[in-house]
Amino acid sequence: MRKLPMCTALFSLALCGMLNAEESMSMNAADKAMYAEMLENNPAAMDVAEGEEIFNALIGQEAYAKMLGIKVKDLPKTVAGFPRFVKAANKVVTLSQSLQMAMADRGHPVPKLESNEIIKMTAHVKSLANDQKINIDVKANKQMQEMVVLGQKIFEERRGGRGLSCNSCHSPDIVGSRLRMQALPDLGAKETASAATWPAYRMTQSAMVTLDKRMQQCMKNALLAELPLGSKEMVGLEVYVANKAKGNPIQIPGLKR
Amino acid sequence: MKTLIKIKPNSYKVGDIVKVDFMAMHPMESGMRKDKDTGQIVPAHYINEVNFFFNDKVLTKMITWESLSVNPVLSISLKVSGAGTLKVLAKDNKGESVETSAAITPKG
Amino acid sequence: MERRSFLKGFGAVTACAALIPTITHAAEEAKKVTGPNEMSMESAIAAITGGKPVTPSSKVSLSAPEIAENGAVVPVKVSVESQMSANDYVKAIHLLATKNNNVRCANVYLTPANGEATFGTRIKLGSTQDVLAIAEMSNGTFLSAKQNVKVTIGGCG
Repeated sequence: MRKLPMCTALFSLALCGMLNAEESMSMNAADKAMYAEMLENNPAAMDVAEGEEIFNALIGQEAYAKMLGIKVKDLPKTVAGFPRFVKAANKVVTLSQSLQMAMADRGHPVPKLESNEIIKMTAHVKSLANDQKINIDVKANKQMQEMVVLGQKIFEERRGGRGLSCNSCHSPDIVGSRLRMQALPDLGAKETASAATWPAYRMTQSAMVTLDKRMQQCMKNALLAELPLGSKEMVGLEVYVANKAKGNPIQIPGLKR
Repeated sequence: MKTLIKIKPNSYKVGDIVKVDFMAMHPMESGMRKDKDTGQIVPAHYINEVNFFFNDKVLTKMITWESLSVNPVLSISLKVSGAGTLKVLAKDNKGESVETSAAITPKG
Repeated sequence: MERRSFLKGFGAVTACAALIPTITHAAEEAKKVTGPNEMSMESAIAAITGGKPVTPSSKVSLSAPEIAENGAVVPVKVSVESQMSANDYVKAIHLLATKNNNVRCANVYLTPANGEATFGTRIKLGSTQDVLAIAEMSNGTFLSAKQNVKVTIGGCG
């Protein structure tokens, strides 16, 4: 059954202004506490543990740090700054892409970005930075400056059959209004901090999902053509979204609807 | 089947009651879901029995069904009677079985 | 912390020779609650209670969200007031989802060694429905608690 374009509702929402957030539709404090407790036994906990096994077997912290040009003890801080310009690639790369580079470096076949190995290793390596604040530096160099500009452009660009952009749901003016019983989130706000809490276990997918994959899933639902993982546009978008969440502590794995 | 046992809190004395969380990585297929790509029903595949033992004596026995979520967690209490080994034996409807152990180490 | 060993097939059988008597006991218990998976609520309850009455009681606490963000992972916790002594304890906690295809979620057989009668897990709910917990007491009585959980299709995708 073709998924109904529920985003037509969103389109009229954008035209008609904000919906009132009804109290009966908000998660009450007791429910919120139950979901917070679930984080202690995250369904993705074992995926992250598998990521650790794969990473340690195929790459290891020493080789990874060396490729990034840093010391092992600086890994958490460096990981908290992705996407970043990596000299060895001569461009801005995401954490997942850096793991692809490390695989190639070690003489292993390079897994695709959507592969289980990359997803699990990404989650493990990012979890090394748990409690570190996102410290992405969009002013660090010319390439980062270029990418954040590109990212913003993509975020604001209306595309697809409904003429929607990321901003249609995630601009500061519209966040908080409801779309199908859920408040639209401000991606940078402390409660959401997307870039700090993905990879996350997505209940609707019954699987752990990375941030770029999640953005693709969002694009699909908004009837926008999915940007390919690892493309310059996707990386730029991730730079822009990570910068929004700058200063928020990383907590991997997250737990999301 | 990958598994994990967590004991909370991680510091306790004899006589304390601790929380035991047993997690298993398992698809918990109900046998009612259609595979999106093939259109075929994915056969039922779920953990159907989980038994907990402390120092080889039965602590708790469970019969579990396909209604449990993917990567299920099962939480029970344990009254700490002394040092020993907590053992969990989990079995699924396809006959795969896994044994997991955790040390119970009360202080004082 | 913890060590794991993985056993499959015969390996599991030989390693667990000492545990076989207790495992077949579980199989007997399973037979009591077994039947076609699509058991009706009435049959499932009858299989548990043998027809004895079930009394709603405040001694049984069932906590589940009033509104579940998603039906795939709904946290549920049951706790029953009891001293869990050798002659006065909670023998079992049965968790049921009234409208699921298979209403049974878990049958948890406790012992006094648990110290407290508690059980927590996460369940799949196919639709808005009542979740029911039945506590089987060592004196042969059955107590219960239930809670309605609204399952929403929230947000965008």
